[in-house]
Amino acid sequence: MIEETLIARHQQHEAAPFAPVSEPVYPSLAVRVRGISKRYRDGTEANCGIDLDVRRGELISILGPNGAGKTTFLRQITTELRPTAGSVEIFNLDAITSPQAAKRLMGITPQEAGIFQSLTVCEHLELFARLKGLSKVDAKTGAAWVMESLDLVQQAKKRVGTLSGGQRRRILIGLALLNRPPLLVLDEPTTGLDPASRQAVWGVIRRAVTEGASVILSTHYMEEAERLSDRIGIITQGRLIAFGTLDELLTRIELSYRLTYRDRLDPFGSNCLRYFASFNEVQHYIAGKELSEYSIARASLEDVYFALTGERFTEEESKST
Amino acid sequence: MRRLTEIICVFRIQLMSMRAEVGPFLLAGLVFPAGMYLFANAVSGSENAHQQNRLRFLAGSIIFSLSLTSISWLGYLLLENRFTGRLKLLATLPLAPSSYISGMLVFAFVQATLSTVTLLVVGRALGVPTRPTIMLVPVLMLTVLTFCGLGAVIAARARSFTQGSLLTDALGAGLVFLSPVYYTAESMPASMRTVCGFLPTTFAARAVQTTLTGGYQVSSELVALGLMALATLSLGFRLTRWREE
Repeated sequence: MIEETLIARHQQHEAAPFAPVSEPVYPSLAVRVRGISKRYRDGTEANCGIDLDVRRGELISILGPNGAGKTTFLRQITTELRPTAGSVEIFNLDAITSPQAAKRLMGITPQEAGIFQSLTVCEHLELFARLKGLSKVDAKTGAAWVMESLDLVQQAKKRVGTLSGGQRRRILIGLALLNRPPLLVLDEPTTGLDPASRQAVWGVIRRAVTEGASVILSTHYMEEAERLSDRIGIITQGRLIAFGTLDELLTRIELSYRLTYRDRLDPFGSNCLRYFASFNEVQHYIAGKELSEYSIARASLEDVYFALTGERFTEEESKST
Repeated sequence: MRRLTEIICVFRIQLMSMRAEVGPFLLAGLVFPAGMYLFANAVSGSENAHQQNRLRFLAGSIIFSLSLTSISWLGYLLLENRFTGRLKLLATLPLAPSSYISGMLVFAFVQATLSTVTLLVVGRALGVPTRPTIMLVPVLMLTVLTFCGLGAVIAARARSFTQGSLLTDALGAGLVFLSPVYYTAESMPASMRTVCGFLPTTFAARAVQTTLTGGYQVSSELVALGLMALATLSLGFRLTRWREE
């Protein structure tokens, strides 16, 4: 019964998918994950007892080192992977027992997926819009809107196989956005994109959130997580070890002041980094060492990440623009 | 209605993808089978035998064409979808797995219709006396379904793209040459005769030959092909993974 009501509501929305969503037609909780665990056949425990709530209109970022279990976690939400234990609800629908119904409420961008290279960009978007249940007219409108939003208008008539990796990535993101679903699940959506494309994708994601959609994305970029997210989760070794707003996460570390300085005795060496609990401690340290070249900053998400996971993002990974 | 739209969309995706593959399709669906017809004619011996064999060679070439397009080609497409991540992309949609399979089957039927009709026209042009009956349609449909099922099983079970494409190619050609399609069952070694009597290509070739000579007596072949289609498609459908465990 709940399923039918939700699908009917979404169908009403699909009937006019390109009008802004003003009325709250969906339940306040977009995603409810309880005790989700995934153990693969080879014994690898990719996720262990994860609980997570995503509210309607909220953007959640999931951070974690490579192999931490981020993609496994997202794939269980998108119903691609069956959890070993636990439950996943999408707008109160049981996604494990009703995957098709749940997918009608989601736009999904997998981390790795192939696209049909012989189709033109426009054909690809229109056919997938039809597969998402849009009418012919809405499929055309949706495809045009996606191409405009993601700067793909010039490529509309080009075959997908002739496009660059970044353009193909944008198509994958566009496919998720097509019917303006109330929930977007994006697995590393901006990996491999140039700064301009990344800004365009951020713009589209922000707009979707403004219009009432919920977004859950995984990312390797600290700046992306900091700029876009309402709340951030950190997964390592299959466990969600931290979850909250940026301010809440910053309170998780005791040494919240960062001093970057150049050692007087080693003027050609690389920058040194040291953390302190208070500003006074930093000042004492600077005075004691008689430092002349230094900078002081409040701890960032990257510092929280380092403190919690013991791993530091590489320069390349943390640079997003 | 929604299911029909899904099937048509999957079919259109495959059809549009074929634009870049018209050449290989002509080779597999028409040129090779037509070439095999000419080759078989050329080596078939005396003029009398030649006349009697022409129809069998045309029927054989139709089966060869169906085998290359439905087992090898369709298997290749299914493998490509699986191993290049396209299946993963389709699985993100609220698309029923049965719609995906049905769309692929419709595509196989269109290919089979195109190649069979063209081969019949070519046969007429070469002077083969054919009088096809309506029973040719169910025979071809069940043959295509059986072949597609075999392609689907291989595509679902293959450990790699290379392994899968080798298997579909080998099976596509092997089933034709190991069955009495281009030659009579009597000319086969006795040990092989029994085994080859159960191959789908044997039933299909016999039924196509009968219907091309104006015959309707293909009920046993239809039953055999129907059972094989049911078995292979059920298995292929069951093995196709839409959702990982």
